[in-house]
Amino acid sequence: MARNKWRLLILLAVVAMLAAACSSSSDEETTTTAASGDTSATTEAPAGEPFKVAFVYVGPTEDKGWSWAHNEGSKYLEANMPGVVITRLESIPEGPDSQRVFEDLAADGNQLIFGTSFGYMDPMLAAAENYPDTVFMHATGYKNSANMSNYFGAAEEGRYLSGMAAGARTESNLIGYVAAFPIPEVLRGINAFTLGVREVNPDAEVQVVWTSTWFDPPKEGDAAQALLDNGADVIAMHQDSSAPGQAAEAAGAGWVGYNTDMSEFAPNSWLTAAIWDWGPYYLATAEAVKAGTWTNEPFYGHMSDGTVDLAPFGPSVSDDTKALIETRKQEIIDGTFQVLPDPIVNQDGVEQPLGDIFSMDYFVEGVIGNASG
Amino acid sequence: MSRRIIIVEPRGLAPWWLKLLIPIASVVAALALGALFLMLTGNDWIEVYAKMTDAAFGSGRGFAETLVSATPLILTGVAAAIAFKMLVWNIGGEGQLMVGAIAAAGVGIWLGGGTPPIIAITAVVLAGAIGGAFWASLSAVPKVYLGTNEIITTLMLNFIALNLMQYLVLGSFSPWRDPEATQFPQGRPIIDSARIPEFFHRLDWGLFIAVFVAILAWFVISKTRTGFEYRIVGDSFNTARYAGIRVPKKVLGTFLLSGASAGLAGSILVAGILGKMDPRSLDLGLGFTGIIVAALARLNPIAIIPVAILMGALNNAGPALQSIGVPTATVKILQGAILIFAVAGEFLIGNRFRRPRESVDETPEPAKEASAA
Repeated sequence: MARNKWRLLILLAVVAMLAAACSSSSDEETTTTAASGDTSATTEAPAGEPFKVAFVYVGPTEDKGWSWAHNEGSKYLEANMPGVVITRLESIPEGPDSQRVFEDLAADGNQLIFGTSFGYMDPMLAAAENYPDTVFMHATGYKNSANMSNYFGAAEEGRYLSGMAAGARTESNLIGYVAAFPIPEVLRGINAFTLGVREVNPDAEVQVVWTSTWFDPPKEGDAAQALLDNGADVIAMHQDSSAPGQAAEAAGAGWVGYNTDMSEFAPNSWLTAAIWDWGPYYLATAEAVKAGTWTNEPFYGHMSDGTVDLAPFGPSVSDDTKALIETRKQEIIDGTFQVLPDPIVNQDGVEQPLGDIFSMDYFVEGVIGNASG
Repeated sequence: MSRRIIIVEPRGLAPWWLKLLIPIASVVAALALGALFLMLTGNDWIEVYAKMTDAAFGSGRGFAETLVSATPLILTGVAAAIAFKMLVWNIGGEGQLMVGAIAAAGVGIWLGGGTPPIIAITAVVLAGAIGGAFWASLSAVPKVYLGTNEIITTLMLNFIALNLMQYLVLGSFSPWRDPEATQFPQGRPIIDSARIPEFFHRLDWGLFIAVFVAILAWFVISKTRTGFEYRIVGDSFNTARYAGIRVPKKVLGTFLLSGASAGLAGSILVAGILGKMDPRSLDLGLGFTGIIVAALARLNPIAIIPVAILMGALNNAGPALQSIGVPTATVKILQGAILIFAVAGEFLIGNRFRRPRESVDETPEPAKEASAA
């Protein structure tokens, strides 16, 4: 009995190790693929006074999604600011454990630290209090202090335009949307997308499925498949993985991505996507901190300043649609067109005030699904 | 009958020095293999190990953070150890921790703001233990009275606990969800007077609760009459039955105490560094890592304390290594190597190797490899 006990214990320990490695978060699970890249390496500084900047990502930088886009921004900063030394930490789980990571970076002499996931907000705030001489910049949050601020961008502008491409593409008049969490950021995206769809195709509807994930390729792929099985012939999404696109490609449907140009994963399905360009903002922020002119004023980037853009079109987008989208894009940049109008028609067909878009909790007309998850 | 080159046979009782030497030699061997791996992947292994040691033990704050990470692992380690010692295969520490956290946060939210700290903290911490024991009872009662397999039920209940926890914060407007966090669902903070005070950086008194539980578990098992009866059950159910011990009652008691210890880990996180029931911060595989800790500590509750500190140190070294350009995957490989070597070492404590005898009168010679690993 005692010997069998040890055998079973050893087996359980090994299983537990595997489970512990997998359960922490699906982001972390993919670290192994990212590890082969050279992106997490510290860069050597050129001669001169080093200015140390750190980036902390929730996912692997090779995800070709959210973290990848921010990492591209860090590379832009590296290339355009002489003497900058960049430290990049990827796959850092959210929650209070991350406070240690931020404090380590501050203690290491980083003068500016970017954290690019919502769940870093409170840990960064606590770290900022303990390291008052370091500037902390938090993406997607809403809290700031004397040495901490936040930044984000109007992805909804790109979403609206990508919705136009989807509305032109659909023949079944049903578009599937693989959504992350029922929070204002995601709802803004779905609503802007749907308004774009219905500008070119008033009969089309957008069906939403929630996955409660930011990066879980199997789950997001399954959600896309369920929507395709339900008759959708275009798939849109919010998460960082390309799995919905691969499901769309296999089904011969269209695909609207997010964050970056992911056309390589589904070249035939690819329509376009709202994408990010953080580089110029990161450069401006680093220069302001170095020059001592930084303030804790939050930043909300737009298409007009280049933070938000539209990815190149896929092969199935017609020239007429492209021209229509380009015209709208110019109007958004010029400020003559608001993607989220006020008042706005909600899911029940009732006109209501737009309200604060940062606490948006409703769907617009044409969305099938429940806005509270 | 096929000829075997090496015969493995039980060693009987291993001498005390071997029991101490083999685990230490296992860790050293794992680190040596790790050094080889680091050299092959082009890293400076001395720098890596120096950085790991420095991050985990090199400063007061670093050591405090190591102990912060070790605290829940001590409790989940004790949870696994006491169960496994009694042949109760509770691998549900993960779920019991989560339900403990749910119960603790529930009490911490429900209590009025004016509750004196001593009462509030006691209530919250005990609620976690009760929650964990309750979750364990869902597997324990069917095992004892219906003979169900607890490996399957505890494992499955982990997923139910995870989904329950996510539902309470991400998927519904339950009392656990913070009504003020509109941008992203978060746990509602518990009342301030229920927070366990910090005494050194982020380290709080929860560490001493965990250490006390470990010592208490050791004392009860090794030094009391009840512990003696439990140990007989742990050696063999049948022997215990013949000795007139009521085995089902003992199994039930063990199972509930094991769940209570894991639940305590959840409540100490909620009342300590988290301050709320935050799904992202509790889904870190702490219950599964506890099984590894228990296995490495040979199910000895006292040995769990240093092993948990070692695991905490390894955990914290990961991000620090990234800042000198080593991917987190490398740390995971080191952790895995230490476990595999320790498990192999375990085998060497219980067994010895010898060459098969060539003729009948040749005396068996114990192989020397036993102590070399």
